[in-house]
Amino acid sequence: MAFRLWKKAILMTLREKKMFTVFILIYTSLIFLTSLFMQLAFTGNLGGIAGFFVLIFFGVSLLLSLLYAWIIVARNRRTWATLKCIGYTNSDINSLVTGKIFFTTFLGFLIVIEILFHYTAGVGYLQSANLLTGIPLVLIDLIPVIFTFIPFLAVQIIALLLANRKIYKVRPIIALKKVGE
Amino acid sequence: MPIDKDTMIEAIDVNKEYRRAGAIIRALSDINLTIKSGEFVIVQGPTGCGKSTLLNVLSGLDLPDSGKIIFDGENIARATEDRLSKIRRQKIGFVFQDFNLVPTLTAIENISALLWPTVLREKEIENRAIAALRDVNLLERKDHYPVQMSGGEKQRCGLARAIVHRPRVILADEPTGNLDPESEKQVMDLLKKINKDMETTIIVVTHRASLSSYADKVISMEKGAIQKIK
Repeated sequence: MAFRLWKKAILMTLREKKMFTVFILIYTSLIFLTSLFMQLAFTGNLGGIAGFFVLIFFGVSLLLSLLYAWIIVARNRRTWATLKCIGYTNSDINSLVTGKIFFTTFLGFLIVIEILFHYTAGVGYLQSANLLTGIPLVLIDLIPVIFTFIPFLAVQIIALLLANRKIYKVRPIIALKKVGE
Repeated sequence: MPIDKDTMIEAIDVNKEYRRAGAIIRALSDINLTIKSGEFVIVQGPTGCGKSTLLNVLSGLDLPDSGKIIFDGENIARATEDRLSKIRRQKIGFVFQDFNLVPTLTAIENISALLWPTVLREKEIENRAIAALRDVNLLERKDHYPVQMSGGEKQRCGLARAIVHRPRVILADEPTGNLDPESEKQVMDLLKKINKDMETTIIVVTHRASLSSYADKVISMEKGAIQKIK
């Protein structure tokens, strides 16, 4: 049952094209940049400033995830209220919201993996062709990407807790009020 | 108190007050009411007379301050939220004035959505949704989004969603409030047909006196109290 609701959450997320695209782009950029700076921190390039950037990106991702969760609940309040009216429990709606949040994060991660293939190929080509020799090009290992993804997932759990609290407060009676009332 | 087996909903000494800007508003005052299974009931009255509050209380969306609501033999006035959700999913269909269709879902998905949290298989859900769309003459619009439908079609889609789980009661809050006269007639005729064919109890809240011809029972309300039942 929860599995079906997660599947439907993915469907609903994909149809909210504008918001989905904006957040997926930001997540992808954040995961990529965090992985890059974590790689720089591991290899000792850029010194301590790389670690500082990693912390900043984690902070931004936390804020962004909270914002995404808040938007999902607040923008769709009438939808959640209607679903409660027709018999959805808080737990059913939480399954939908969980599906939406985790799908966006996972897809961001998968896009980063895809981008890394192209990035690695690009860096390899530029190095072998002796182009852009003045610019230090860094290859990103899989380990910094995984180390980035785990805290990103943890951040989503915090966002989910916020979303769950907000969903609990949505009263089904809102669905019976007139639009704009 | 023994409950007649034909009784679908019974309100006993129901009171409800709201506090607004420091003032106490008596939304429902000593409501006693019996709605029989298969009845078509219209609740009428001017704006602010308490008819929507009555609908909310009868469906368990809002709780009375005192009194009992016996819904299909069960007092729902003190039921838990999960129990109320289950009752609504199994026994009640809602029709809203503003349709309340999910904009990112097609007509058939909006109708199926009610059955997603159930144990029914996808194919069975789809079959039921198609049957509901056919019942409201909207099958050709099954893959259309709400934005691609007219007001009357949206309301018929809302009606299909209200019957897809074969509820015992349909509660409609101003279902024709946003419709032109032709669509209003279509929606009311459909409600009457559902009432006759499926023996579903229908409760319609409206301020339009012209709709009373559809009803077996008309409840007139004023200032939170029932003025007359005919």
